[in-house]
Amino acid sequence: MRNLIAATVAILLLGTRLSAQDWTVPDDRKGRLSTFAFDDNTRTTGERLYTANCKSCHGTPGMDNWLRLVPPPGDPAAEKFQQNSDGEMFYKIVTGRGQMPSFRTVLSANEIWALISYLRSYNTGYVQQVMQLITSSAYPGAEIRISLAWNSADSTVDISATAVKENSSVAVTNAEMQLMVQRRFGHLALDEPRNTDSRGFVRFRLPADLPGDTAGNVLLMARFTDEETFGSAGKDTVIRAGMPVNAASLVAPRAMWNTARKAPVWIILTYLGGVFVAWGFIMLVLLKLRDIYIIGENSSVNKQ
Amino acid sequence: MNSGNPAKLIIKNNIIPDLMAGTIFKSERYRQKVESVSADILRNVSLNRGFLLWMGFLTAVLLACLYAYTVQLREGLGVTGLRDITSWGVYIANFVFFVATSLVGMLISCVLGLSGAKWVKPIARIAEIIAVAFAAVAGLVIISDMGRPDRLPYVFIFGRFQSPILWDVTVVTTYFFVSLLLWFLPMIPDLAIAKDRLPGRPAFLVKAYGLLSVKWVDHEKQFEILHKAMRILLILIIPLAFAIHTVTSWLFAVTPRPGWDSTIFGPYFISGAFVSGTAAVIIAMYFFRVSYRLEKYLSDFHFDRIGRVLILVSVLYFYFNLNEFLVPGYKLKTADAIHLRELFAGHHAILFWSVQLFGLVIPAILLLFRPLRKPLPMLVISVVVLAAAWLKRYIIVVPPQAHPHLPAQNYPVEWILYKPTLIEIAVSVAAIVLVLMIITILSKLFPVLPIQEIAEEEALAKNESA
Repeated sequence: MRNLIAATVAILLLGTRLSAQDWTVPDDRKGRLSTFAFDDNTRTTGERLYTANCKSCHGTPGMDNWLRLVPPPGDPAAEKFQQNSDGEMFYKIVTGRGQMPSFRTVLSANEIWALISYLRSYNTGYVQQVMQLITSSAYPGAEIRISLAWNSADSTVDISATAVKENSSVAVTNAEMQLMVQRRFGHLALDEPRNTDSRGFVRFRLPADLPGDTAGNVLLMARFTDEETFGSAGKDTVIRAGMPVNAASLVAPRAMWNTARKAPVWIILTYLGGVFVAWGFIMLVLLKLRDIYIIGENSSVNKQ
Repeated sequence: MNSGNPAKLIIKNNIIPDLMAGTIFKSERYRQKVESVSADILRNVSLNRGFLLWMGFLTAVLLACLYAYTVQLREGLGVTGLRDITSWGVYIANFVFFVATSLVGMLISCVLGLSGAKWVKPIARIAEIIAVAFAAVAGLVIISDMGRPDRLPYVFIFGRFQSPILWDVTVVTTYFFVSLLLWFLPMIPDLAIAKDRLPGRPAFLVKAYGLLSVKWVDHEKQFEILHKAMRILLILIIPLAFAIHTVTSWLFAVTPRPGWDSTIFGPYFISGAFVSGTAAVIIAMYFFRVSYRLEKYLSDFHFDRIGRVLILVSVLYFYFNLNEFLVPGYKLKTADAIHLRELFAGHHAILFWSVQLFGLVIPAILLLFRPLRKPLPMLVISVVVLAAAWLKRYIIVVPPQAHPHLPAQNYPVEWILYKPTLIEIAVSVAAIVLVLMIITILSKLFPVLPIQEIAEEEALAKNESA
């Protein structure tokens, strides 16, 4: 019993400590900046992403109509949010905490930056600082290029990373690489992350039953897991590496949930049959009224 | 012989051979009976001062209430208490009540009529008047619940066969027409009788009688055709009446909400409809008996009989109530439990228990006592039953909406706990006023009891006893 009480108290204390704790962002992440300048385009994209991913909890920015949860999600237009640096916002969206989910595999870095550009539109005093490209600290001054090759014979993907500086290029070695495929919500990691070899190569094996679109196309994305060391360079390629998936459209066949034109035959027949039978009998009765009238008219003519 | 109570004579001869019915119309007795009965019944067919005053009063109330509707039309449904969570309120409760009450036309003229209960003959037309009036206005009530009534044609243009809404609109319309025919067809011989016996009435009325009596001359063949047409309608109205209220119940039952998600909603609604409809007929009977001085035709005997019918339908409805609340109450699934707790002991408890006790259980018990099946006590009981029937529809429609399966977070409490506004009540009153106007017109401009049928019964009864 005493243990139980102690455990309860411990959990309660832990809970209060957790909620009271500030959401600290590692110092080296605070200064991170978007690689592109925020404009109306990025804000529009950001608004769309916000509506799809954030609005259900955070509400409309500036309206203070966030969902009343504990701890409160808060309004992103509020001072508390806007005093974060771009890097801090980015970090918090990527990692998440408590009920705030991590968007690491849901939104790409560029999408998160677009989201931040939208949120910053509620901050009149905000002036954006743009960073060019995260350049690798391991290969200073070099631009890292990633190429991706699909070997359909053995269902493997070969990825090579090279650091290009002026006219010389060198293989990026021992860099941890992650291969992902785009799904409906977020990205699905294929296999475990692997390190590039001495030639800058890494090979991933794709599952044979990877579902693609109707033609079997999938969007593969190669990224470094350690962006700080190797930069944010990535490679997105659509290849026909998946199984063609021809999921029948739910609105193609006749169904209860479809339009009137695509209603199930039995329900159309039942409805129309009922209407014709009922109104047929009504018409029959009206014709009988006509008969009554004719008989009446004839007999009155006969009397005269 | 017991000439005091014609209704008893009618009952004695409840099986009339068809052949006999054909010859009776030529007899002198029948002609005498037509004279006396039509004198009694046509006395009330007039646009007298009482009628004009009553209609004037109803028109004034209607105009006042229609003003409330113009406010709703201009401002939108925001002026009502309807919100996101509780989006159906007194309008839909009113609609269900109207459809329910109109069902009595089928019960009286068809179920009882076809089963050979002769005592329903004088009541059948009253029941049909109620059916016509309530069915006619039920459709209008739905329109009052629409935020954009101008989009009503869309129901037909874009209507889906899969939607109970389309079925409901269709079946209410059809039921209205068949009820209208069931009111009109048996009246054709009466119109022919009456058209020469309305001195001093407005010319348009006499002319209308002449037109509507479709050259009726009491010809044998005309009777034959009329009976055949009536039989078609009486059989047609059974599936129609079941359809109209079953489809109305489907508007709720196909929605997965605790309190609506029920497999017995169809029969539950139909049995409930019989209760409210019978109560409405009793009230109308009492009114016509007293104000039209028709004690001879709407006798204590008729009240006694319809009182028994009310007991029967109340017991039937009680059975369905037991099923409807006991089964989910026994299982108490999470969502049902919240809903039932609100009804049994929560926010709606007083309303729920008053309706169940005073509107169903106690009236049925009281009516078991013969002295309480007299006209006046039955009027009082029926008024309570009818009022409770309306409130029961409110209980069916409103409380289940407060507890949707998906959590309703972040809403102001007044969006969830519905309260009708004055505008809503006024618009609902307008519908009730319209029903009263239709009943008044149909019962004041046309014979309220079947002259020909009563005369025929009386003549036959005399024939046999002679």
